[in-house]
Parts: sequence; C-alpha cells; structure tokens
Amino acid sequence: MSDIFDTLSVLILMTAFVLMANKKVKAYIKTFRVQSALIALSAGILGVGAIVDEGRYDLMVVCVLIVILKVIYIPGLLHKTYAGIEYRTEKDFILNIPILVLMSCSLVVFTYFSLSASGSINEGGIDPQLVNTISVTMIGLLFMITRKKAIGQIIGFLEVENGIFITAMFSTQGMPFIVDMGIFIDMLTAVMIMGVLVFKINITFESINTDRLNKLKG
Amino acid sequence: MNYLIYIVLQIIVIIVFAPLINGVIRKIKALSQKRKGAPVFQMYFDLHKLFRKTTVVSETSSWIFKAAPLVFFSTAVTAALLVPVSTIIPQPLTLPGDFIVMVSVLALGRFFMMLAGLDTGSTFGGMGSSREALISSLIEPSIMVSLFTIALITGSTSLSKILFVVNNSETRLPLQVSILVFLALLLIIIAETARIPVDDPSTHLELTMVHEAMILEYSGRHLALMEYGAAVKQLTFITLLVNILLPLDGMISRAGIAAILLSLLFYAAKVLIAAVLIALIEINSVKLKLFSIPNLAALAFILSFVAFLQYFVLGGNHV
Repeated sequence: MSDIFDTLSVLILMTAFVLMANKKVKAYIKTFRVQSALIALSAGILGVGAIVDEGRYDLMVVCVLIVILKVIYIPGLLHKTYAGIEYRTEKDFILNIPILVLMSCSLVVFTYFSLSASGSINEGGIDPQLVNTISVTMIGLLFMITRKKAIGQIIGFLEVENGIFITAMFSTQGMPFIVDMGIFIDMLTAVMIMGVLVFKINITFESINTDRLNKLKG
Repeated sequence: MNYLIYIVLQIIVIIVFAPLINGVIRKIKALSQKRKGAPVFQMYFDLHKLFRKTTVVSETSSWIFKAAPLVFFSTAVTAALLVPVSTIIPQPLTLPGDFIVMVSVLALGRFFMMLAGLDTGSTFGGMGSSREALISSLIEPSIMVSLFTIALITGSTSLSKILFVVNNSETRLPLQVSILVFLALLLIIIAETARIPVDDPSTHLELTMVHEAMILEYSGRHLALMEYGAAVKQLTFITLLVNILLPLDGMISRAGIAAILLSLLFYAAKVLIAAVLIALIEINSVKLKLFSIPNLAALAFILSFVAFLQYFVLGGNHV
C-alpha cells in the first residue's frame, strides 16, 4: 500500500518539475490540473481505506471537494482570467529554465538532508513521501519567486498550497475535517481575490508584469 | 554450437525487424491524419531500392565520408547484440559493465556520423553536426544516470544480469523508480532517434532538420546503411526500455523452444506497445525550437536523477 503512495508522491513531485520546465500559461493550468487530480487520487485511496477501516467518510468528502475545486473550478477560473489578458507565454525569467529545473532538483536534495538532520520526525529511515511532498512546497516557492507575471505567481501559490496539503494528508492519514475545510475556503478566497486583482492590474497598467508596480514607489 | 543459434536469433529479432518498427510508427501517424499511409514494410522496399542504386561520393570528401556509414551501422549492430531480447535466450555477449559499452559504442557511431556531416564541407552538414553534438551532449547524462540507478538497485552493470534480476518475480524494481526511469528513457529515445519534439524525421526543411542534415550528402548504399543503422539503434533503445521496465519473462516457467517462442511473442507485444506510445507522442506534440531542447533534456535528466534519489531516500537497499 505504501508503495502506491510513494509512487503518487513521486508523480506529484514530477508535476512540480514539469510546471517548472514550462513557460506557456495554458501548460501551467493543465499541469496544475494534473497535479490536483493526483492529489485527489491519493485522497480517494486514503478515503476508501478510512471508510473500510474506521467508517470515516470525511476523506472521501475531501477528495470530492478537491476534484470540484482544484481540478474543475480553479483551473476554469484561471482560464477565464487568462483569456482576458494579453500574453500567452512567459518570456523574461530571472534565470533560464534548465538552471531553474536543476535548482529545484537541489531543493529536493536539500529537503532530504534537512529532514534526515531533524531526527525526531523519522523513526528509523526517512519517509520518501515526506521528502517528495515537502519538496513540492519548496519548488512551488521557487516557482513563485522566479515568475514575473502575476498569473505564474498565482500558480506558484496554488502549488505551495497543494504541497502543504498533500504533506499534511500523507503524514497524518487525513487531517480533522474542519482544518481541511478551513484550508479550502482560504485558498478559494485567495484565488478569487488574485483573479480580480490580475484583472485590475491589467486594466490599470495594460500589463500584468508585477515589476512595473515598483514604479509606483516615490 | 548453441551460442551460434542464440546469436543468430538475437540478430534476426533486432536487425531484421528494426525497419518494421519505423513502418508501424509511420502507419499509426498516417492513420491519425486520416490517410491510408505507406505499407508497414515500406522501409524494406526503400532499403532494397537504395542498395541497388549507384552511390555518388563527393570529390572533395575524404575517406571518413565512405567509412562513416560502415562504422555507424556496425556500431548499431554491436549495441544491438549487447541488449538481450529475452532472458530465456542466453546472451552471446555478456561482460560486466556492458551498458557503458553500449552507450559508448553508440556514441562512437554518432561521432563518425557527425564527422561525415562536416567532411563534405556543405553548410547543412556542419549545421546538422553541431546540433547533433548539442543534443547528444545534453541527453547522454540522463542515459547514464538512469541506467546507473537501475544498476545500483539490481547490483550489476551487466545488462543480461539486470534483466535476469528484474524478471525474477521476487525482485522487482520499486514501482516509483520504474515509472520515473520509464519516462526518462522515453524522452531519451525520442531525442536519440530524432523524433518529433526534438527533430522531425519526415521532413527536409533546412531550418529544423538535425539527423537528415548530416546524411544529406549520402546516396545509394551509404544512405541505406545510415538509415538502417538508425532503425537498428532505435529498436535497440526500445528493447532496453521494454525489457527493463515491462518485465514479463518471469511469468514463463518452462524451458526449451516453446519458452523461447513465448518470450519472443511477449517481446513483440511489448515493442508494439512502445511503438504505439512513441507514435502517440509524435502525433500529439509539435517540434520544439532548438533552444527549447535543453528544457526537455533537463526534464529527462531530472526524471532519472529523481529516480536515483528515490533509491537513495529509500535507504539504498538492494533488491
């Protein structure tokens, strides 16, 4: 069983790398969709286990919520935002893509070593799922700071959120339901506000390059 | 005496059926475009035609131009002999570290092809050679890392030993490692055999061609050897992919002729699956521009490196 979760965590990590190697907004949204679907799949498998073993239905509800929110609703919202703005491809990076991908790889190594240094979490051997999922969060942060356009940063934020969520789910085998709900509602509000803001930035400045906002400073 | 039979069997399987894989991939592509397409055996007809045609050699070229097709074809055949098609058939060539030999032998063939591209002094040849050098230097690290990952897990650098360990039903590769290495090798095959996201095999458009640009000056027998060598190399890589990562031979418990035939049947089915997969990738993607290829290569490298890391994270235990 843990073999399946190891594989799923590796695949989620892989989508983080694919996201990093992409530069088209359409591909961002598609990859995010795949990542969320993988998370929903892991929640579903855990949920089936929870129903059979303990009779808890909350993880199944979480799985359905992930499918509705992260696989269908939020990517759709991003598509709508993206249709309203000018650019299609991310052009100016702080570093070029191969270097960014290699940096993400070194983040995985860094996570591994920092987890192995903190001995209290791991009883005999490090959990590969933990390494992979925490790496997703780290790569999401790197994604966020290396993309200059607002829509890339939103995707980065969502990836960080995905990473934290899947870390919590794998390490606790299902958080309390109220915590899950809180996270979802927070994320939904954040994405909606960001979507509106991207629109506003685009209308006011005719571009969503966040660097230009710096010109507002006196 | 027995070994002679096995060598012949290995040669027949890889070298005789290599052009067929190209035919299958082309047929699937044609069907996806609602065309009837050339027959599956078209490449055999082409090779037959080319072998009978006059060979034209440029006056300004040196011996390298004439030697390169022979070197390229013979290195491809050598590499094909190193990758076993089935664990039931004992290997004609087994030596420790033979996948390193395989990669370096293929690199030798590619080196001669690049030299031949430069030799005639035509602009396209030089351009193709420099592009090929770029792509191969980007893709080679990921071949080595992914094969070394498997070697570390199985505890051997000999391909036939690796296959034996992988096919034993008690000592499978961990699932996540095999998925990652599978994806990495798929990207490697696409780059090595000049398929669509990296290079378009069916066009002679000056701006984009890589493989075709290098062999542009060849004709007749030489061209046939080049094309045939490329097909053999492609089937060698596909064999490596399917035999390491889709092991089925462990299910055969008997020995003898029937077991060999059954394992070859499995092998054919696996190769067909891989060919369909490659064709699907070709259909569903567009050719990348040359400067986006490093991104793809970085992804292939990362896939193999993360597989290596998974082995490391899992505690480095042998299977």
